[in-house]
Amino acid sequence: MWAGGHVRTRLAARIAALHPLQAWGGALVILTTLPLLVFNGYQQYLLDLVMINVVLAVGLNIVKGFAGQVNVGHVALAAIGAYTSAVLSTKFGMPFWFALPLATLATGCVGAIVGVPSFRLEGAYLALATLGLAESVRMFIGVTDYLGASIGFGDIPPPMIGDHRLDSYYAYYYIVMPIAFIGTYLAYSILRSDVGRAFMAIREDSLAAAAAGIKVRKYKLLAFVISAFYAGCAGSLAAHMAPGFIHPDDYNLTRMVTVILMVVAGGLGHIWGGVIGAALITLIAEWSRAYYQYEFIIFGMIVVLTMMYMPRGIGGYLDRRRVRRRFVALRGQGGPQGTVSAAVGAGAVGAGAVRGDDRVA
Amino acid sequence: MPLKNTRVALAAAILGLTFACATASAEDGVIRVGMTLRMIVENGIKYGQMTRDELLAANASGGINGHKVEVILLDDECNAQKGVANANRFIEQDKVHLIVGSICSSVTLPLVEITARAQVPQISPTSTARAITEKGSAWIFRAAASERYFAAVHAKYLAENVGKKVAYLYTTDAAGISFATAYQAFMKDTYGVEPVFTAQQQETDVDFRSNLLKIKSLGPEVLALAGQSDAISRIVTQALEVGIPRKVARVSASAASNAPVPETAGDAVIGLIFSAAFVCTDPRPEAQAFVKQVGEKYHVRCPDHDFAQAYQTALIVKAALAKADLKLTDASLAADRTAIRDALAGIRDFQGVVPGKINFCADPTPQCRDGNRTPILVEYVKGGKEYEMKQLATVTFEPDFGLKK
Repeated sequence: MWAGGHVRTRLAARIAALHPLQAWGGALVILTTLPLLVFNGYQQYLLDLVMINVVLAVGLNIVKGFAGQVNVGHVALAAIGAYTSAVLSTKFGMPFWFALPLATLATGCVGAIVGVPSFRLEGAYLALATLGLAESVRMFIGVTDYLGASIGFGDIPPPMIGDHRLDSYYAYYYIVMPIAFIGTYLAYSILRSDVGRAFMAIREDSLAAAAAGIKVRKYKLLAFVISAFYAGCAGSLAAHMAPGFIHPDDYNLTRMVTVILMVVAGGLGHIWGGVIGAALITLIAEWSRAYYQYEFIIFGMIVVLTMMYMPRGIGGYLDRRRVRRRFVALRGQGGPQGTVSAAVGAGAVGAGAVRGDDRVA
Repeated sequence: MPLKNTRVALAAAILGLTFACATASAEDGVIRVGMTLRMIVENGIKYGQMTRDELLAANASGGINGHKVEVILLDDECNAQKGVANANRFIEQDKVHLIVGSICSSVTLPLVEITARAQVPQISPTSTARAITEKGSAWIFRAAASERYFAAVHAKYLAENVGKKVAYLYTTDAAGISFATAYQAFMKDTYGVEPVFTAQQQETDVDFRSNLLKIKSLGPEVLALAGQSDAISRIVTQALEVGIPRKVARVSASAASNAPVPETAGDAVIGLIFSAAFVCTDPRPEAQAFVKQVGEKYHVRCPDHDFAQAYQTALIVKAALAKADLKLTDASLAADRTAIRDALAGIRDFQGVVPGKINFCADPTPQCRDGNRTPILVEYVKGGKEYEMKQLATVTFEPDFGLKK
């Protein structure tokens, strides 16, 4: 093995040896200081947008990636969160700090309703049912004058601390970043808990999961509700970010496809999938708009190439590399028998890490 | 290992492309204009390019007052979130002196908040929603006619010449709703008349026959229909199919001036009346010169009022930039933006390609910032690819027309 490989292996081993809380603490420090690295307000705005999309994508990853339930209505849930928060703060004068949790809670309740069809429907049929919800929510908003109809809902106030308006993108980052961080950590904790294992069992085979004593309906519903909490929270955060304007077209099918792409490109079922995918797709979408004639081609090609070379997304690719490196290291210490599971267990947080084309070579 | 190398190259390419947007430089001595328009439909692309070309044309003759003009044109797809992102990029990264946009009211509205906060002048070429200039921003200008004028011109004409029994059928997009709402409000406020029928359908609907059959049974004198161009052509075609006679006047919003309406509806479009800011059969020499120029350069036989208003906006911007005293350094950015705003506010009786003269003034009120007060009324006299129109009326309103006292 060449020298660079040794260095990388040692670095990877050191990172792997870190206590998870140390890694999370390090990530928090980096995220907290990130605004120091941006050059202007536009890049700060993009950071805020990335954080909101992280919340949205991590939420979708819970229901789709962890529990294997197709949900094409995720942006509709975000719309419900956004409009609930907007109505509470503009029509009822409620501060952001109360509107955000209430909107999140309300969206969670709607998520429970959305989850009910998953008891009997799967795959394309569940996709159609949730798609119906998405379109009906958007259409309802589009014709409801109280919600601004197709003109849009404006003048949504930013968060306030005393008399101080947190309406700059810099200040807003310190609201959205901790929420995105906590949201990702919660998803990580869920994935490593009994609930996460139940989700994954249902994803792999719901009949086998039921036979093993897992209450499939309960966990399916739970996945939808948790996912809806994330969507509602992301919607509320988007609504209160300057300029405080939301429009039903922000929650259309194109947006839904973009959010699904975030999760797929990042890696379905991988804890970092939503995070990496949200950052990447948000930035690519922003960048490609300057080349409007080729925008969709560029966007599409990047996605196709990513899928061709990283079929399980970037999260899956990184997991596979980590597992392979660990496997190679363990093989150096002893025989291959019995070490694969050790390598997988140590390296792969996402349950899908060693399936299909990502299996250890 | 070629596969591994490919993956590394791909990852590097993605990251490189992703962060390419992070690099920016604001050159001194250059007037920077940010344009956010809907660049996803053929017409939108063409008039976006035309507006950019018109501004850049100044560079061929040494720039404006010796200053080179740089235009950054981004697509917003008529999506508010994308328009907001574009505006943030223009203001914070590209350090533009002026923003042109957007086409759609639903994008222009949130941009008004952003430009007011950042104190950057903004001029909208075609957005008609009245709220845009009613927000009280000192930084917004509208080159288009406001919907308060558009609604009145056809409502008054039809009420006095055809009748007051109006049935409304429109789609749920902003254009459809604002047309129908403004028309209904005008009829109620002016004549005390309620609609004989009103119905909304989704903008993606293709079959309007059931509502049209109900309308037929009610025998209205006017059928008011609105939406985007494809919905308008479907409604006029299906109205004939279900047997609504041609004597029932058909009236629509300015989207009816878009070429796909007469081209796809064929002769069903004959008799369709709409209010607009410009018609390509306008005999004035400046209008015909514009039509000829667009035909030769952009291969559009009959530019609609969106083309004309976008071009007019470029002319207004050039006139304002020529009048503004600009230093064009990093340190003078705020002062330059204020100078351009003041120069725009000083535009008086500006005659471009649209029939109406453009007037702005300093107060942040609709009276001062709705520049074009002259809508025209147009009727199709022939459909198909070689469609023809005639101008029925031209009305210039007072600045405070349609505003709440």
